[in-house]
Amino acid sequence: MELLRFTTAGSINDGKSTLIGRLLYNTSSIKQDILESLSVPGDDNAMNLAFLTDGLRSEREQGITIDVAYKYFSTAHREYIISDAPGHFQYTGNLVSGASNVDLMIILIDARNGITDQTKRHSQVASFLKVPAVIIAVNKMDLVGYDEGLFTQLRDEYLSVSTKLKLPDIQFIPVSALVGDNISAPSEKMPWYTGKTLLECLETLVILNDDTTSLRLSIQCSIGLVYLGKLLAGKIMLGDTIMINPGGRLSTVEKITHNFKEVKEAQAGQNISLSLTNDMKARRGDIISHSHDSPVCNTNFTTELCWLDPTTPLETGKEYFLKMHSMEIKCRITSIEYKINNDTYEKDNFDGKVLVNDFASVNILVKRAMAYDLFTSRKTTGRGILIDEETNKTSGAFVITGTPGQYDYANLEMIGQKKQ
Amino acid sequence: MENLDILEEEAIHILREAYGQFMRPVLLFSGGKDSTLLIHISAKAFYPAKFPFPVMHIDTGHNFPEALTFRDELVRQKNLELIVRKVADSIREKNLTEPRDKFASRNTLQSVTLLDAIQEFGFDACIGGGRRDEEKARAKERIFSFRDETGAWQPYNQRPELWDIYNGRIHKGENIRVFPISNWTELNVWNYIRREKIIIPSLYFSHPRKCLHYNGQLIALSDFIRLDPGDSITTKNVRYRTVGDMTCTAAIESEASTIDEVINEICRSRISERGETRIDDRISDAGMEDRKSKGYF
Ligand SMILES: Nc1nc2c(ncn2[C@@H]2O[C@H](COP(=O)(O)OP(=O)(O)O)[C@@H](O)[C@H]2O)c(=O)[nH]1
Repeated sequence: MELLRFTTAGSINDGKSTLIGRLLYNTSSIKQDILESLSVPGDDNAMNLAFLTDGLRSEREQGITIDVAYKYFSTAHREYIISDAPGHFQYTGNLVSGASNVDLMIILIDARNGITDQTKRHSQVASFLKVPAVIIAVNKMDLVGYDEGLFTQLRDEYLSVSTKLKLPDIQFIPVSALVGDNISAPSEKMPWYTGKTLLECLETLVILNDDTTSLRLSIQCSIGLVYLGKLLAGKIMLGDTIMINPGGRLSTVEKITHNFKEVKEAQAGQNISLSLTNDMKARRGDIISHSHDSPVCNTNFTTELCWLDPTTPLETGKEYFLKMHSMEIKCRITSIEYKINNDTYEKDNFDGKVLVNDFASVNILVKRAMAYDLFTSRKTTGRGILIDEETNKTSGAFVITGTPGQYDYANLEMIGQKKQ
Repeated sequence: MENLDILEEEAIHILREAYGQFMRPVLLFSGGKDSTLLIHISAKAFYPAKFPFPVMHIDTGHNFPEALTFRDELVRQKNLELIVRKVADSIREKNLTEPRDKFASRNTLQSVTLLDAIQEFGFDACIGGGRRDEEKARAKERIFSFRDETGAWQPYNQRPELWDIYNGRIHKGENIRVFPISNWTELNVWNYIRREKIIIPSLYFSHPRKCLHYNGQLIALSDFIRLDPGDSITTKNVRYRTVGDMTCTAAIESEASTIDEVINEICRSRISERGETRIDDRISDAGMEDRKSKGYF
C-alpha cells in the first residue's frame, strides 16, 4: 500500500474543512459516532463537515482553524495523511509546518472571491518548500451557476500570477465541496469539465521516490563505536569507502544493521546502524558521503528564509541556533539582501525589518564549517530552521540557495571537493 | 516504500532524535498496544545496542490485572529498566481528593503523579504512544510537543515543526513530549503488530467477562466501580479495543480471538476507537484538550 501526504490551503471560509470532510465522507472514512457529533442542532439533514477538523475549543468557538490538524483515510490502494492547515496569514507558521512534508498541496479558491492575498501567500509557501505537486480547487461552483467561463478566467488569472513562483505542474479542478461535485464522481452539472475528479487525482498522482543519487547519511547519535543515522539520500554498501563531513576523513563500512539484521546495503529513507573500520570520532550532525560526491563544506551560504516568529523580527548580528537534519550549530545573519513581495513576488527593497510571514534572501554565517547541499539539488541536506537562543522557539525556516564565492582559510582545502 | 515501512522508519528516526537530543529521556508505558509497539520499535531503533532509556508506568491502581502481569513479563523478557510511580501515593502524600462518582476515574490525578515523577528523575523528554487519529486535540499536536514548567500543553502557541527537523531545545524545568507514532492509524498499529508478531495483552482478544451494562457500554466489574441497586450485570464474550483504567475503558462484545479476526472486526466497525471504548472522553467535547493543558500525557 502506498502512502500519500497532502495539505489543504485556502482563505478562511473557502471550504477547506468542508472539502476534507467531504473526502472522508465519500471514502466512508468517518465512523458513526463521529458523524453524530457533526450534526447541526435543529437541522436533521445538515451536517457540519468542517467540525471534523476543528479540534481545539476556540477553533470551534470562533469557527476558524488555528493549527494544523492531521487526518487519515484510505482507499483500496492508497493511504492518505491530510494536514489541514489554517488559512489566515497570522498562522502561516502552522501552514508551513503542515506543508513541509507533503507530496501535494491543494489550494482552494472560492469561485465568488477569486484569487486573494491568502491564495498568493499559500502559493508562495508551496514554491518556497518546493512542494512536488499543486492542485487548484475552485470551490463553491454551485454558488456561481457552475459557470465554465468563470472557471477558465480564474485559471488563467492564477497562471499569470504564479509564473514567477516556478510551481510544478499545476492542475485545476472545479468543485463543490458542500454538494460533492467533482470530488469522487464527475459532476453532472459541469459536463464541460473533462479532467479528473479530485479523488482520481489523489489516487493517480505519482509519488516521488526518495533521492537516490548521492549518499547522504546524517549521524543522529552513537552508542559505543556504533553510529545510528538516517539515510537522507543515496545508498550505502558494505565495504564502501566513505567520507565524514565536515573534515573529509575517510573510512570503510564494516557493518550495516537494519531491522534487527545485518545487511549488505541500505537505501534512502532507511535508518541504520553503522560500524566503520576505525574509530572516526564522528559527531551527531555529521554527514557521511562518498568521497567523490561529497557535500559542500564551509561556513557561509545564502538562503531563502521564511520568518515564523510572531513577536520578534529577524535580527542581523544576533546569534541563533541553526538546525538541519540532526545538526545544530550557532550562526549569525550577516546580511539581508532583499525581501520578496507577497503580492508581486518581485524583489522588494529591504526596509529594515524581516517580520513574521516575510520571505527574504538572507546570508548566514555558521560558527564552524558544516556540510550542506543546495536545496535545488538535494532537499534533505539543503533546508533547516533557526531557533531563538532565548526563547528556544522555532523562529525561521530556510532553504539554501547559494554558496558565496568566499571561503574561510581553514576550509580552503574543501574547495577541491566542492560539487555544486 | 510500503506505508508501514515508511511509518516505522519515521518512528525510528524520531526515537533516535529523542535519544540524541536529550540527557534523560523516558518512555511512558501504559500496558496498552500502542506503548507495547513503541517498545518494539525502540528495541529495533537501537539494536544491536541495548534499550537505552528507562520505561515508566504511572500506576493509577485501577489497572486490569492482566495488564500488570503483561507489563512485568515484558520487562523481564526485554530486560527493561522499569520505574513505577503510583497515583495512590500522590493522593496520600498531597492529600488530593479523589472523584467519588460511580466510575471514579483517576485519569486527571495521573497528571500529578506524572509531573512529580518527571521532576523527581529530571526527565527532559517523555516518549509516548499517542496517535493523531485517536482524538481531535491530539490531531493537532506536534511530534515534539513542548510543555512549560507546569507541564501544560499550549495548543495556541505550538512551535512550528518542519520536515524531519525536531526542535527539542528547552530551559530547565520544561519538558518535551515525544510522539513517534503520531501518524499511525489504529489499523496501521494492528497490521504492524501482526507483521512483527508483537505480543500484546490478552485483553485485546475475546474472553468471557462479567460486566456492568451501563448506558449502552460494557464495563468490567471491579472493586473500583460502584454498583447500585438495579444495575444490570451480564457475562459476555468481550475484548478491549483500547486498554486504560478499569474505570474508564469499556469492553466491546466480540468473538475475535486472533489478530486476523481483530483486524477484520476493526475494518467492519462503524464506531471509532475512542468513541467505542472511552468513558472519559464522553464527559466533554474538549476533555482531552483540558487534560493536556494540565500536564496529561
Ligand atoms: N455552497 C457551498 N458552500 C460551501 C462549499 N464549501 C464550503 N461551503 C460553506 O462555506 C463555509 C465555510 O466552509 P469551511 O469548510 O468551514 O471553510 P474553511 O474555513 O476553509 O475550513 C461553510 O458554511 C460551508 O458550508 C461549497 O462548495 N458550496
